[in-house]
Amino acid sequence: MGGHRSPHQARDFFVSFPQLFYDQSVVYNVATMAIESDLDLMLRVRDGDSASFETLLRRYRLPLVSYFRRMVRDQGLAEDLAQEVFLRVYKSRERYQPEARFTTWLYRIATNLALNAIRDRKDEVSDTASDDYDGPPALERFVDPQPTVEQRLMQGDRERLIRQAVEALPENQRAAVILHKYQEVDYRQIAKILRVSESAVKSLLFRAYEMLRVRLEPLLREGRI
Amino acid sequence: MKCLETEKLISYAYRLTDEPAASEVRAHLGECPRCREILEQYGRLDAVLDEWKAAKPTPGFDARVRQAVEAQQARLEAQGFWGWEWARGLAVASLGVLIIAGVVWFTQSHFWVFNSSRAATRQPAQARGPQTPAQVAKLQSPTVTAQAGVRPAQAAPELKLAGVALNDDKDAQALEDYDLAANFDLLSELPKGEPRVAN
Repeated sequence: MGGHRSPHQARDFFVSFPQLFYDQSVVYNVATMAIESDLDLMLRVRDGDSASFETLLRRYRLPLVSYFRRMVRDQGLAEDLAQEVFLRVYKSRERYQPEARFTTWLYRIATNLALNAIRDRKDEVSDTASDDYDGPPALERFVDPQPTVEQRLMQGDRERLIRQAVEALPENQRAAVILHKYQEVDYRQIAKILRVSESAVKSLLFRAYEMLRVRLEPLLREGRI
Repeated sequence: MKCLETEKLISYAYRLTDEPAASEVRAHLGECPRCREILEQYGRLDAVLDEWKAAKPTPGFDARVRQAVEAQQARLEAQGFWGWEWARGLAVASLGVLIIAGVVWFTQSHFWVFNSSRAATRQPAQARGPQTPAQVAKLQSPTVTAQAGVRPAQAAPELKLAGVALNDDKDAQALEDYDLAANFDLLSELPKGEPRVAN
C-alpha cells in the first residue's frame, strides 16, 4: 500500500461521481449552495421569505428522505418524517438562533423524530406490513458456508444484507453510522446532534464499524471492489 | 512488531483522528502488513456500504410539504391573538388563581387549627382535667399533686410548694399551665427553705 487511501477516497475511485447526485434538481441545488448559505436562507425564512424556504426544501429533501429511509426503512414513513422536519423548521423560524450549524439543528430534529419512530414501531407490528418485505433473514442464509449461497446473491440481496446489518445495530450506533457514512456529517457535529461527547461518538462509530465488518465479512471476502 | 489497536485503525480509516495520531498510523502501516490488511478490510467495508443506495423522494413530496406548510400557516393566522396565545394566557392565569386560592385556603385552615390548639393549651388545667390514666394516677397522689402544682378535680384546701403555702390566686394562676407544671424539675432545683413565689 503505497500511502494511505482513506475509505472515502477509495469510494471516489469506485463510485462514479454522478451516482452521488440523483436528479437535475440536486445538481441545481449544489449550484445554489455555493451562492447562499443555509444560515442566510434561514434568517430570510425567519423574516418571512418563502422563496428561501423553498430553496432549503429543495436542498435538503433528498438528504432527509434518504436519511429517514435508512433509519426507518419504510418509504412512506420516511417522507412523512421528512415533511415533519420541514414543518418544524418553518414553525420555529421566528425563534431560530444561528448558534450552531443549520444542518446540526436540522439533523437533530430529524434524528429525534427517527429514533421516536423506531421506538414506536418496535411497539407496533412486525415488518410484514412493509412494502419491501425481505422474506426470511438473508444474513442467516449468508453466513451459511455452502458455496451455492454466494452464487444466488444478486445486487438486491447484497443491499438487503447491508441494510439488515445496519438495522441490527443499536439505535444510537445506527444513527451515528448513517450520519457519518451516508450523510457525511463530521463526528464533532454528530456529537452535537446526538447530544453526547465527541469521544462517545467515536466509541459509537468504532463499535458500529467493527460490528458491520464482522457481519458483512462474506461480502468483504467476495472482493467486489 | 506489535499491531496497532483496532480503534486506531478505524479512527484512521474513517478520519476520526487528528494529524499527529494519523502520522503515527501511517508510519506503522509502512512496516506492518497485518495492519495494512485490516485497513484494507475497512476500505472494502466502506465500498460495500456504498452499495446501499439512497432513496429518492417520490414526485409529489415537495407539493405535499408546501401544502402542509401552507395549511399550518393558515391555521396559525386563523388563530392569531385570539387563538392559542389567548388560550395559553387564560390557562396560565387560571393556574395562577388556583395556586393562590390553594395557598390562601391552606394558610387559613392551618391558622385556624393552630389557634384552636393554642386556645386549648391555655385552658385551665382543672377545666381540661387529666388526659391519660397515668396522669390521673399522678394527680391523685397528694405529693405529686403538690409538686406538680396542679389542682386535682376536687382541689385540696391547701397546696404547698416546697413548704410554702400556695393559697393565693396569683400563685395558683402561675401554675395553671399544665405544660409548665409537668416540667416542674426546674423548680425543684432551687435551694430549699426559701420562698419560691413572692407574695
